[in-house]
Amino acid sequence: MLWYKAWLETRGRFLTCLITLTAFCFIFVHHAQEIAFRGDGLSRAGRPADYYRLLFVTQQFLVMMWVVSVVLLGMGGLIRERAFGVSTLTLSLPVSRCRLFGVRVAVGMVEATALVVLPWCAVFLTSFSAGLPIRFSQVSFYIFLILGGGLSYFAMAILVSSVVEGEYTAPAIAFGLVLLTAIAFDAWLRPYSLWRLITGDLSIDRHTYLLSSGFPWSGVAVSLAAAVAMLFLALQRIRKRDF
Amino acid sequence: MSESFAIRTNDLTKSYRQFVAVDSLHLAVPKNRITAFLGPNGAGKSTTIKMLLGMIRPTGGNATILGHRISSPSENCRLRQRVAYVAEDKPLYGFMTVEQLIRFTRRFYSDWQIDQEQRLLAEYRLPLPKKVRSLSKGMRTKLALLLAFARRPELLILDEPSEGLDPVGIEHLLRMLVSQAAEGVTVFFSSHQLAEVERVADQVCILNHGRLGLNARIDELHQSYRRIDVVFETTPSERELAVPGIERIRSNGRQMTVLASRNADQIIRRARDLSAVSVEVSPVPLRDIFLETVKED
Amino acid sequence: MLFQKLNPGTGQPLYLQLMQQIQHAAETGILRDGDQLPGIRTLATELIVSPNTVVKAYSELEHSGHLELRQGSGAFVKTARRTRHLADRVQLARRRFRDLIDRLREDDLRDQEIQRAFEAELLAAVEASGKR
Repeated sequence: MLWYKAWLETRGRFLTCLITLTAFCFIFVHHAQEIAFRGDGLSRAGRPADYYRLLFVTQQFLVMMWVVSVVLLGMGGLIRERAFGVSTLTLSLPVSRCRLFGVRVAVGMVEATALVVLPWCAVFLTSFSAGLPIRFSQVSFYIFLILGGGLSYFAMAILVSSVVEGEYTAPAIAFGLVLLTAIAFDAWLRPYSLWRLITGDLSIDRHTYLLSSGFPWSGVAVSLAAAVAMLFLALQRIRKRDF
Repeated sequence: MSESFAIRTNDLTKSYRQFVAVDSLHLAVPKNRITAFLGPNGAGKSTTIKMLLGMIRPTGGNATILGHRISSPSENCRLRQRVAYVAEDKPLYGFMTVEQLIRFTRRFYSDWQIDQEQRLLAEYRLPLPKKVRSLSKGMRTKLALLLAFARRPELLILDEPSEGLDPVGIEHLLRMLVSQAAEGVTVFFSSHQLAEVERVADQVCILNHGRLGLNARIDELHQSYRRIDVVFETTPSERELAVPGIERIRSNGRQMTVLASRNADQIIRRARDLSAVSVEVSPVPLRDIFLETVKED
Repeated sequence: MLFQKLNPGTGQPLYLQLMQQIQHAAETGILRDGDQLPGIRTLATELIVSPNTVVKAYSELEHSGHLELRQGSGAFVKTARRTRHLADRVQLARRRFRDLIDRLREDDLRDQEIQRAFEAELLAAVEASGKR
């Protein structure tokens, strides 16, 4: 029943984000179709590279929205319940704090995954039926990049919501951290930028705009390790805290 | 571990930087009895209960509930299966409907009684499809109580359950408490409604500044505590009346009012020896015993 | 039997009050020999007192012989034989008195003299049994 509760708590946020992201994808496909037909006698298919460049640029917006969604999904938990006076009810249930935390994280991760897979499937299917040059391998590459690299944003949100009290302070700090890391990655850590990893900037071929080089396993591994570390810290905090 | 006690604490302590909330508490709550846990606001009752249920970590001492150590998270989790608890602020998930919340809670406990749930739903007239956050305060209190009373746990812990209830609701609450106790449930509840406590409780524990000021069977309190109003011929000094059992003496000229926790007969005899003109004995309501126990020196 | 609410303010433990209620009811005939008292749970919820109070009252009454607790069935009133037959014997005694009064009147004694003679004999009998 904890899964049901976590779903009830997050479904508003989840469905809003899902609809927004999926709608955005349709807009992209529509845009792509226009590009393909526009201009001076371009063939119906257009140049594949144009299409792929558009795909690459647009998906960066998609990734941005996904990160925002995932940070929102990471909010909540016992600390927030405490502010609303409900943590006593949850903690009086015959379930361990580990399990409460685990279910929250698991539901969030499933929703985060759905927020990547479903919109990308929409892109794939509609592009495919519109005759645009979309390849399944490209789509899956993008999906795995976002999940492998991006779940650390979700973990960060979980950590912030497990430490920071205040219904508005927690998301403010979480988004602040996203912004901070984006700036830091852009300014000083460009070769190691998580952002560039997620959006595929480190793997993209500048001529074909195809994700061509090998999957950045080391980068993803570091990101996942960081995610696990942050989740572990969050769990410890929840276990030790007085409610 | 004594098996006739539902709750046993040993030097249980919770100290914060500025003050001590619970101070070396020795509590023994007997099984199959109704025990009232009294104390002024801020005495540490809620803190004690939260420590027992694993929400707050004690800074010293230990305790067991139904034989389970409270300090081990896994044991504490298991004991919560056998304990029903209603917190002071009657927390509920506002985003669920009444039906969803009941279905949610039901799944966690094997001691849930469906017929009791149905009966209480009808009695309380709770609207199943309504969201909890849109219920009135009285309805929310009743729903919070239903989540505990629709079960048959081994131990029922209630923190200020009558708060937010009108007299009809309080009467119904007491009837439910007594009904549960008759089924073998150990009841441990805190309350400010001393008149009600006096009717239903078997045992009374009074907490003050984190320490146990009194722990007695209510029958003993009824039998031993006496208020003795004496009028003397000549004003004696209070010291002359020194008999063990005298809790407080108030004197005004030749009149003296003695609050005695025991030995009333001895006190009366001593008063007569000291040339008392009139001696009147009356019982002491729980309220006065409580006020006397928690007064500041 | 209609039970009265128990009063915690009297200084007497509640179980004693309940015991007295039951004993009084048995003596005045409201409860008769063999009547079943309510179960512990029923009585506790009716009076809104701890079930333990009822348990104590019933067990003390069983101890003093006023109740019989039958395993599984409940608590049953046991009135002493003296109480049960008292009413009958009082009836009989009054008939005997009436006959005696009629005969003494036939012997030409006045009612006042009859009363004085009766009281003197009763007093003597009390003094005689007191010496024993």
